[in-house]
Amino acid sequence: MEILAGSISAGLLIGMVFALVALGLTIIFGVMDIVNFAHGEFLMLGMYTALLTAQATGVDPLLTIPFAGLVGFLLGVICYLGFVKYLIRGPMVAQLLGTFGLMLVLRNLALFLFGSEDRTIHEGLLVGQSFDMGMGIILPATKLAAAVLSVISFIAVWLLINRTRIGKALMATALNAQGARYMGIPTERMNAFAWGLGGATVTMAGALLVNFWSVTPYVGLLFTMIAFAIVALGGFGSIPGAFFAGLIVGLITELPGIWDFATEMTGFDWMASVPMTSFKYTWVYLAYFLIMLIRPRGLFGWKH
Amino acid sequence: MKKHFALVLPLMLVLALVLAMQTSYAAETIKIGVLYPLTGGAAAEGRELRAGAELAAEIANTSIPEIKMDMAKRAGISSMGGAKIELIFKDHEGNPTLGADQAKKLIQDDKVIGILGCYHSAVTKTVSAVCEEMGIPMINDSSTSPALTNRGFKWFWRTTPHDITFTQDLFEFLKGITEGKAMGVPAIPKAQIKTLAAACEKTEWGSQVSQTIETLSKDYGFDLKKSILYAAKSPDLSSEVRSLKSARPDIMLFASYASDAILMMKTLKAEKAGPKMIWGQDAGFEAPEFRSTLGDDVIGILTRTVFAPQVGQVKDVSGQVNFLYRKNMGRDLSGASARAFTGVQTWVEVLEKAGSIAPAAIQKAANTIMIPGEQLIVPWKGIRFAATGSDQGQNELGSGMIGQYQKNKAGEIVVEIVYPFDVATAKLIYPLKGF
Repeated sequence: MEILAGSISAGLLIGMVFALVALGLTIIFGVMDIVNFAHGEFLMLGMYTALLTAQATGVDPLLTIPFAGLVGFLLGVICYLGFVKYLIRGPMVAQLLGTFGLMLVLRNLALFLFGSEDRTIHEGLLVGQSFDMGMGIILPATKLAAAVLSVISFIAVWLLINRTRIGKALMATALNAQGARYMGIPTERMNAFAWGLGGATVTMAGALLVNFWSVTPYVGLLFTMIAFAIVALGGFGSIPGAFFAGLIVGLITELPGIWDFATEMTGFDWMASVPMTSFKYTWVYLAYFLIMLIRPRGLFGWKH
Repeated sequence: MKKHFALVLPLMLVLALVLAMQTSYAAETIKIGVLYPLTGGAAAEGRELRAGAELAAEIANTSIPEIKMDMAKRAGISSMGGAKIELIFKDHEGNPTLGADQAKKLIQDDKVIGILGCYHSAVTKTVSAVCEEMGIPMINDSSTSPALTNRGFKWFWRTTPHDITFTQDLFEFLKGITEGKAMGVPAIPKAQIKTLAAACEKTEWGSQVSQTIETLSKDYGFDLKKSILYAAKSPDLSSEVRSLKSARPDIMLFASYASDAILMMKTLKAEKAGPKMIWGQDAGFEAPEFRSTLGDDVIGILTRTVFAPQVGQVKDVSGQVNFLYRKNMGRDLSGASARAFTGVQTWVEVLEKAGSIAPAAIQKAANTIMIPGEQLIVPWKGIRFAATGSDQGQNELGSGMIGQYQKNKAGEIVVEIVYPFDVATAKLIYPLKGF
């Protein structure tokens, strides 16, 4: 029982972090119908921003989150105004290849600036701390903080979009850009804002992630894939969808733990020798594949 | 245009002259290509290896008669008129494909006469295949997958003992503990240390270690509850750790490279795992970063090793070389740097014996060489390669040790030798005090 409780709690916790990573992707897609392949690279830059700022200034990595968010916002806006703005005038293929190119540029820029070595934060308020809740539930402090921020961010973004004028303008742009333009909404600025918001949420996720996840210039791809799976599962453009799909994906990555629980319950020796942990992300991609096959608009999708 | 052309000719002449001078200079040096992971996840070990190799080349090229080692007494290769050794380092990032490409470049562009490396067994596998195809000798100093020497390669020699030897040491050690042979610990009933769980990284090296652990645990009557393979580049290992924990093992065994070894220990701590013993198959477990990052948390952790500075207490030559290394690097030799040193030393002795850079001469020299143990900084009986048989090219005289991280009187964290029992330098800490 302890194994199961431990796995489920860990799955939900990491799921909330995954959801935060996917939030930016779903905002950008929701507003502009453009798939940002460079999303994981934004995250990677967020991780580096937090790590380097913390190391240079000596402040706790947690305190670098607002700065990372600012960097991400600017990065998103600059990418939009300097690059994506021109891409969206072209065909769909140009958009796909364009953001793919952006991914390569950012990754190689990071390789050039930071080198290919793994970097990890070893010191910080929460690093290495964990709370034993009993029942086999152990909550590492860094992941708990990330999960809390994730929930706050989701609520904030949801409120922003549903309760403010700028959110309504964003929504209008998302639903019908031409119509919104006729109504006097500066859609160009709305698009830039969506990119900024997307960039800020994902770099903030990176700044949290770096407390317990090591960073290399290649780390982005894994998260891009996970974020895609989440966004597809939750429905492209759906914000609550991204949150719940994140939780589901988090639980899927914990399948090995659930398997261990089943092994202990049934007592079959052969089950212990199944290499479940070797394939922990395989199940995520399998879920992505299945949802594409069975319900392409996702669980909460409202577009198309 | 004509004016420019007039300039081009003299320029080319100067260039040709410079090139000619370079080749005449190159004839006095012998180039050996060295492939190590200088960047990437194992960069820490790469730096160690490089420093060890460079120190050996420095000692080989200059005469330092105080060091009790033939290589130190000579300056350069005396059988080739004092030719100097030049090491050309290339980075393979732990990537087998890149390693093979770099090996081709070294052989074709840099015209090296042989290769040394590559640390990662998976990379050594592809690089040695390139060397075998091209008929270029390769000495492997630091890859321990047993499979590397049972391919019948004619251009491949390995100085380090391999993982079957090392893993056997582990089980002999465990057996010895139950018999009360360990210093400072009474005999521990086998029931207390019977269950094991292993996590190995899933490339060539780790998967071979994993298989060896499986076989030997049966042979020695231990119960391997769980054995998992994981990706060394994995940025998160929490589900792996929970899976290990779910087996409730007495002892946890690991084969990890540096960044994953550190991540594994941190995750074990965060998940409050409490095995009675943790043993690492060298590599990441003795990288300098491992102890500098984890600090006091490493105390009590066991690692197989081939070198500990404590060896210097019994072997003068180890102490002398370690002193020089410490002067250069500010820290002691490790298993990685000591083996890289020994790899270069073996190259030097083979060349000395061959008296020529012709591949056939080097091959013959390597197959018949015998370097006695007193010449080596590692505590082996010597270096002699099996020329035939199922372990062709393997050094038959190597041996391993098991070290334990402990705090010495000065409060520094050092690796004390706990196995072989007769050369133990400190009392065994058992059980692990936990994180």
